[in-house]
Amino acid sequence: MAIIERSITSTEVFSVATPSSSLGALKRPVATTGWKSWLFTVDHKKLGIMYSAAALFFFIVGGLEAVLIRLQLAAPNGKILNADLYNQMFTMHATTMVFLFVMPMAAGLANYFIPLQIGARDVAFPRINAFSFWAFLFGGLFLNLSWFLGGAADGGWFMYAPNSGPVFSPSHGIDFWVLGLQITGIASLAGAVNLITTVLNMRAPGMKLMRMPIFTWMQLVVQFLLLFAVPVITVALFLLSFQRNFGATFFDVSAGADPLLWQHLFWIFGHPEVYILILPSFGVISEVLPVFSRKPLFGYPFVVFSGAAIGFVGWGVWAHHMFASGLGPVSVAVFSISTMAIAVPTGVKIVNWTMTLWGGKLEFTAAMKFAVGLIVLFTIGGLSGVTHSVAPSDTQQTDTYYIVAHFHYVLFGGAVFGLFSGFYYWWPKVFGKLLNEKLGTWNFWLMVIGMNMTFGPMHILGLQGQPRRMYQWTEARAGEGLFNFGFWNMFASIGSIVLSIGILLFLINIVITARNGKVAPLDPWDARSLEWMTSNPPKEHNFDSIPTISHLDEFFHRKYQEDASGQMVKVKTAEQVMKELEDNADAHIHMPSPSYWPIFLAAGLPVISFGVIYSIPIAIIGGVIVLFGCYGWSIEPSTAPDDDFDPPATTKDVVHVG
Amino acid sequence: MRHQNTTDHGTTAVNRLAGMRRRVVGSIAGLAGTMFLAGCATNAPQDTFQPKGPNAKIIDDLQKPVFAVAGIIGVFVTVVVIIAVFKFRDKGQPIPHQSHGNPALEITLTIIPALILTVVGVFTFRTVFDLAKTSDTEMIINVTGQQWWWEYDYPVQNEYGITQPIITSGQLVIPAGTKVLLRQTSRDVIHSYWIPALNGKRDAVPGRVHLNRIEADKPGIYAGQCTEFCGLSHANMRMEAVALSKADFAKWVANQLKPYASPAENTLAKEGETVFMNQCIRCHQVNGMKRADGTPVIAAPDENMVSGAAPNLSHLMSRNTFAGATFDLLNKSCREDVWGAESESFGAKYLGGVSEDCLNQTDLRGWLRNAPAMKPMYANPALLTSSGGKYRGMPNLGLTESDIEKLVAYLLTLK
Repeated sequence: MAIIERSITSTEVFSVATPSSSLGALKRPVATTGWKSWLFTVDHKKLGIMYSAAALFFFIVGGLEAVLIRLQLAAPNGKILNADLYNQMFTMHATTMVFLFVMPMAAGLANYFIPLQIGARDVAFPRINAFSFWAFLFGGLFLNLSWFLGGAADGGWFMYAPNSGPVFSPSHGIDFWVLGLQITGIASLAGAVNLITTVLNMRAPGMKLMRMPIFTWMQLVVQFLLLFAVPVITVALFLLSFQRNFGATFFDVSAGADPLLWQHLFWIFGHPEVYILILPSFGVISEVLPVFSRKPLFGYPFVVFSGAAIGFVGWGVWAHHMFASGLGPVSVAVFSISTMAIAVPTGVKIVNWTMTLWGGKLEFTAAMKFAVGLIVLFTIGGLSGVTHSVAPSDTQQTDTYYIVAHFHYVLFGGAVFGLFSGFYYWWPKVFGKLLNEKLGTWNFWLMVIGMNMTFGPMHILGLQGQPRRMYQWTEARAGEGLFNFGFWNMFASIGSIVLSIGILLFLINIVITARNGKVAPLDPWDARSLEWMTSNPPKEHNFDSIPTISHLDEFFHRKYQEDASGQMVKVKTAEQVMKELEDNADAHIHMPSPSYWPIFLAAGLPVISFGVIYSIPIAIIGGVIVLFGCYGWSIEPSTAPDDDFDPPATTKDVVHVG
Repeated sequence: MRHQNTTDHGTTAVNRLAGMRRRVVGSIAGLAGTMFLAGCATNAPQDTFQPKGPNAKIIDDLQKPVFAVAGIIGVFVTVVVIIAVFKFRDKGQPIPHQSHGNPALEITLTIIPALILTVVGVFTFRTVFDLAKTSDTEMIINVTGQQWWWEYDYPVQNEYGITQPIITSGQLVIPAGTKVLLRQTSRDVIHSYWIPALNGKRDAVPGRVHLNRIEADKPGIYAGQCTEFCGLSHANMRMEAVALSKADFAKWVANQLKPYASPAENTLAKEGETVFMNQCIRCHQVNGMKRADGTPVIAAPDENMVSGAAPNLSHLMSRNTFAGATFDLLNKSCREDVWGAESESFGAKYLGGVSEDCLNQTDLRGWLRNAPAMKPMYANPALLTSSGGKYRGMPNLGLTESDIEKLVAYLLTLK
């Protein structure tokens, strides 16, 4: 499975072969084009695109939910949604944005770019990679199926017990939520194992950990967080599932349970989750800022270690979500201090980004605009975060709109802006065309204005005392004068429309670019890292020959050197660097072969879940699908045998990947 | 020489442009700041920056400087980024030196925030323990949350004239200038008790008793709202704390302990009492109510309600709100009269209770006619299989208009 790589130098023109048939329960799929090539692919790039496309779809779904919420709250006693529907709406908005947009979008970028950034030809376990994607997609669709089967989950994304119990939420919404997240959790866990193995074992020769691109570094930290955080939520979800579907009493107070058990489990997962959401975007802008400042990331080791420090300290702050839940002063004080402590490595990052800009030669492409936007917006979110690390203050602001403002500055101003920066930066790499920069500028400014109009006033609303999660607000608590609840709620709702238009421009940009976008040159941004040292889009095997790494920012250092006066001058074009790689191309690179089994196995999971809710025999059928999938998978060789290729390769000449 | 001139012109133009931009950015920032300050000063009843008692004041003294420091750092970072953006934008300068960082600067810029946070941490630590102090408590009230209202239960405390337990709901009545300890729990899901003017919030968790200390400096009425999401009607679970002077509080206690007075025979109210005994008594207790044969009338909410309780309606008209403080018992003008009263005259106005002239007939009648239509609740018998047929909230009782007429007349007698 892992890497069987025999180093070969050959002057022969390489060719990527596909197997014609293979051993195993079924003949292997062979399509290289058409829908079958996507359904059964194990190529990390195709999977990365599919991850991102699915995430974008869920982003639109979650965005529409958000707009409905804002329309409902624009005026007092909103009538657009009733209480029940509103509660479902905010539960699913958060769930969708966290689990079905930001996480898979980051996973999509990780899938596509980690192998490219470390000079690998695929991930360590390509079939597991495909399985992760399908499990995520099926889990996400399963979760949203609840809208059509009696209503979605209505307990909030935090799903506090005992309000999530069968008596208090009698619809099947929470069952779909629990099992859907269980499936996406399997996807995250499998993905984490895969990417950790890939990063630790498959880096190009010479790429020490401290020469690794910062995006890959941040993703590595994220994968470790997932590896340890997902099992915690898995346990919690199992407990809840057994309570709801099989009459267990884990959170039943009358049976002696303490409902705070759920809160601890949820937030031990939930707080590292916050860093799972934000660190990939930190990685993205730590790539983008140096490229468009024309100088290296300021204090690379500090950024790496502060990322790792956030990863560690992130485990010791969960109870700051529970300052009002009655933990007692000792716990509250300790978690208050640990939360302040985590602000330090976060502050380090902001310093490093700002210092990267300082003294640079800044080019404000759309990618750069989003990256700089992140620095400022995330800082605002980070500082409001510090204000509620102060536990006594937090007991006033928690569960008000102040918190909603805070985490939207962190997650929208931070995570989402980082992802958008990545979209504009990497689009030419993935699709070979440049997104329209002019539309990108509009996209950026409307998002900045819209986001500040929407979430900025929520600081004020929270401090004025408007609680969250209320389907209506009343004039009796709105305050006097012009700038009361009424003004700011309307302001925020108008802002959400501006924000939506901004995002719509991005979707329009995609369509326009696909139809008649500018074809991207080989190295459109004069970039610094390895993923740009190959064609746009990359060939299936990524690199004709695996480069040997001698620098952080390897690609930059191949293009630029200091002249006699110490001035950086371009000594080679990207095309020349590419040519060197092509001239040393490996012959007969055998990429991992497509497989039916990942999608087949993943399809069994929602069937089991459906059965758990409605009828156990259906669950058994799902179990049989999964077991048969495991069987078929296990007897299928990871790569088709050499003589299965056309033309057949002699063993001596082959580079196997994956 | 000429070449030099051109460059100078160019630089001046760029400088002027940059200066203009800076002014624009500055005025936007100033405008935003003014808007923010204006935005906060609206006397919203739940404003978190207007403490009206010592606990909230302790929090306020801590949060104000923290917000100020955070604000200053925020402005500083933003300004530095904006300067970098204008100063270093690509004007054709050569590719900069490939500096990989400056560890000394880096460490300094790590230590400074760490020091600021240490100072904040020390004060936070002290405040957390200050707020947790309960040893000098002067009065105890048991507070129980349920979907979607709060029950207040005053155990016997002779020094306040509470010679028998008092059970009430909707409004928490406390003596001003008295350190009151709320012992909070819940009968169903987690709720959170929050009167921002008096203290931060504290969850009410089933199976646990959480302590929450409040004290109001002056007589007055202080608004609050349940802040832990507690299901369907979470938005409608409000509360109000009413602080009375010590003398007025004694009067309030005396009124609560007044024995039950059945309405006079042959009145509409008397007929209303009969309707009450046939319908409302299934869940709602009125202390001291007796049947014609002299047997006491005891409510059995545990047979009908998931949480096992419904608001005790004894002395209902001494409160200003009903249905979990969702609706006012006072009509608009009478409500404004009480809420707007100066703290000296507040007590007398509050103790006046709800007279027939002041009654909010619309909402009370609407509630009796069809409660779930006014406040979303789990009251449709067809949907109660998972709770064994028990309600969460008040169902539609299908009362006739004449029953409603009688009931309103009766409820008005519960002074």
